[in-house]
Amino acid sequence: MNDRTPNTETPILEGEDLRKTYRLGRVKVPVLHGASVSIKQGEWVAILGASGSGKSTLLHLLAGLDKPDIDSGDIRYRGSKVELQNGGETNHYRNRTIGFVFQFYHLLPELDVLENGMLANLVPRGRKSGLLILVMALIGAVIGAWLGLLAAGDWGLLPLEERTSVRSIVLSGACAVIGSGTMIVLIQMVQAVILRTRMRSGEAADVARSTLGDFGLDQRYRHRPRELSGGERQRVAIARALGSDPDLLLADEPTGNLDEQTGTEILELLKKKHEQGLTIVMVTHDPKVASYANRVVRLKNGRVVADSEQNSVVGEMPSPDEGHETLG
Amino acid sequence: MYVALLANRYLTSRIIPWIAVAAVALCVALVVIVVSVMSGFLDMLRTSGKTMMGDVVIRYPISGIPYYEDLLDDLEALPEVAAATPTIDTFGLIEMPYGTGDGNNLVEQVQVWGIDPQSFNRVSEYEDILWWRTPSAKEAESLPADDLRLDPSRDRTEAAMLMKDPGTGEPGIVLGMHISVFNERRGDGTYGFQGGNPNYWMPGKQVELTLVPIKGGKISIEPESRAFSIVNEFQSGVFEIDDKRVLISLKQAQQMLRLGSGTLYDQNGKLDPETGMPLVIGKSPARATAIFLRANESYTPDQVRIAASKAYDQFWTESTARKERTVDPPSPFVVSVMTWEQQLASIIAPVQKERELMRILFSIVYIVCAGLVLSIFWAIVYEKTRDIGILRAIGASRPGILGIFLIYGLVIGLLGSMVGVGLGWLVVTNINAIHDALGEPAPMWMTISAFSLAALLFGFSIHAAVKGSILRWLLGLIGFMIIGVVGAGLAVHQGFLLWDPSVYYFNEVPSKMDWFTALLTMGGAVLFSVIGAAIPAARAADTDPVKALRYE
Repeated sequence: MNDRTPNTETPILEGEDLRKTYRLGRVKVPVLHGASVSIKQGEWVAILGASGSGKSTLLHLLAGLDKPDIDSGDIRYRGSKVELQNGGETNHYRNRTIGFVFQFYHLLPELDVLENGMLANLVPRGRKSGLLILVMALIGAVIGAWLGLLAAGDWGLLPLEERTSVRSIVLSGACAVIGSGTMIVLIQMVQAVILRTRMRSGEAADVARSTLGDFGLDQRYRHRPRELSGGERQRVAIARALGSDPDLLLADEPTGNLDEQTGTEILELLKKKHEQGLTIVMVTHDPKVASYANRVVRLKNGRVVADSEQNSVVGEMPSPDEGHETLG
Repeated sequence: MYVALLANRYLTSRIIPWIAVAAVALCVALVVIVVSVMSGFLDMLRTSGKTMMGDVVIRYPISGIPYYEDLLDDLEALPEVAAATPTIDTFGLIEMPYGTGDGNNLVEQVQVWGIDPQSFNRVSEYEDILWWRTPSAKEAESLPADDLRLDPSRDRTEAAMLMKDPGTGEPGIVLGMHISVFNERRGDGTYGFQGGNPNYWMPGKQVELTLVPIKGGKISIEPESRAFSIVNEFQSGVFEIDDKRVLISLKQAQQMLRLGSGTLYDQNGKLDPETGMPLVIGKSPARATAIFLRANESYTPDQVRIAASKAYDQFWTESTARKERTVDPPSPFVVSVMTWEQQLASIIAPVQKERELMRILFSIVYIVCAGLVLSIFWAIVYEKTRDIGILRAIGASRPGILGIFLIYGLVIGLLGSMVGVGLGWLVVTNINAIHDALGEPAPMWMTISAFSLAALLFGFSIHAAVKGSILRWLLGLIGFMIIGVVGAGLAVHQGFLLWDPSVYYFNEVPSKMDWFTALLTMGGAVLFSVIGAAIPAARAADTDPVKALRYE
């Protein structure tokens, strides 16, 4: 369980002078022009801006999904630079530190509600899984090659005069490939069985069940995403984001694709989680949605134009000219 | 863990991977069946030599090798040689005990072997290939109840081993199974008589064999004919042999061809002063035109050939040095010492080349596997771009994403090749039953079933057209046309001969599985399926999560 004691002094996530430029063919499209934001433990920050103002891009940078420009400032999580992390550290950051909620839910259609809910917990934390597969593949190859040589010689698959020829080596090689492949598939089958067990009684499944139960989805575990309403899908997406007990929940227009009533339900749900100590950064273009946050950062043309405490911007709708391109 | 979960779900939630599995399976089965039949053919050619001739043959045709008994002793003393037997081979005419309808008996040209049954049995599988012998308990289980060999009174093994008629004591002859036109091969590989008439049973009947003695490269003007009693028949499995060869005793063959031992007279007209008869100058030794050798188990035929060749050189040197001998054995330069495979080189070599060519041509199968998996996976990765973005966003590593698609490809390759090898094995081991079924008209139930299914599909198609579904209408129509054509084919099918024994040497289609090719093809299919999956998988692993999530 992450430490969620509110700390209003030290920011846990900071973005300083962030710049991001996209390339559309030969055209450079600058989206962020030195935006800075800092998030403290236990805050609910709304990043408010019109379409194209760069708010989603800012969120992606904070989530480690995208990298800022070379001349950009830093993103720091608890003091260490996020953009300098290696691949494994970035994956760990995305998996364990951040929970991300998308506007369009983005559930995996082949998985059911429970599987989607516990997906973040199924992603391995280290390289042990890959190493295990490599070692087992090697063992399979050695066993296969040995059986191939036995087949070529003792079992009489090749005539006496060909037993020491290139043919027996070729046969051994083919058997090594088959052995290695069979071993990998067997490992996957064993993992599938373990997964089934974990889904019945494992800790990850219990956490997912508990969260989904809190969100009123306890009767929907075995349903596929296509069988759910928009609100239910978004609740599953939030449950997935919270599955790995992250430090921060980053939500990109979490109510943008929902009707007002369902949107309100989702916001109430987030509010409940925030009251339990969860730090939330939410992107929205809707001041009403932003009013749920206790701090609002206003973005205009890729720059932070206002950063204020709760209620100071409620009711002020951003004007359409605050955005200047379709990205972000 | 998510790799196993997603690879499993992607595999089981759509039909395309199963089509890929089926395609890989069919490709692998095709290779396994074709190469197995060719390998089986080669194998049968090789083993057919052992059945009749052992592993190595020392041959000097026409006038034969004198003092062969000494050579046999020398050869049997070699560690490489398990057994040796002398033979005489020549051509002759046989008058069969049945007519042609014009008042004359049928006369056929045959290849005649004079053998010493006891030693011939040690070199070849003579006793095993005799047809009229009591089958073992295990063999009897697989024989049809009306097989005449199950009647112990028809056992003629002893007569064949003595080459003598058990009743009359007349010299015996053993005929190849296809020489008598009344022996009819049945679908299960056994033989019956034409019209089921047991009077056509050959043992006990008389034939007349005519041989032409040849001496010094010139044909004798006096052919020699003798009556023989048929004592048994044999089936070697090689059609050419079973259709043309007869076996008589070595002694009979030597006598008829003037190759037996005898007194040698002076050729210059000198007379014995005491008797006034032509002067006896010595004894002419008996001769054998070929000596067959069987290799000891731990030696290859080639090793035996080399040892036998040296032994003959030694025999020739010693024999020519012995002044009391009236004739010299033929020089080693004119005597051929060859393995059975070398003798058949003109047949074996092209088949071997064709098989290798087939293997190379069929390696296209691997490219088909790779291309198939690549195109399917390319489409799947394209379709799953957003899912890949989601997985990357929640912390899935690039190797993890790569792993999903590689394992997916691996399962397709492994499953497809396993099914393919299984299918190939089923076809190869039952190829003679399939061949026999194709040789007969299709059963009525099968034709009716095909037409019924075609009618059902037509009904389905009409129903779909009424309901307005173009896809179902089209599928129904295509199914109706295919099954309809199959039904029509079955209705007009009267049976055809695919494997003609007179063309392919053997009575049966080779049905031995070539496991070397099977395992090689399997390994290749697996490897190339993974290679095919690797490019789309790498593309998936390289997917930028933000771009992927924006992808619609």
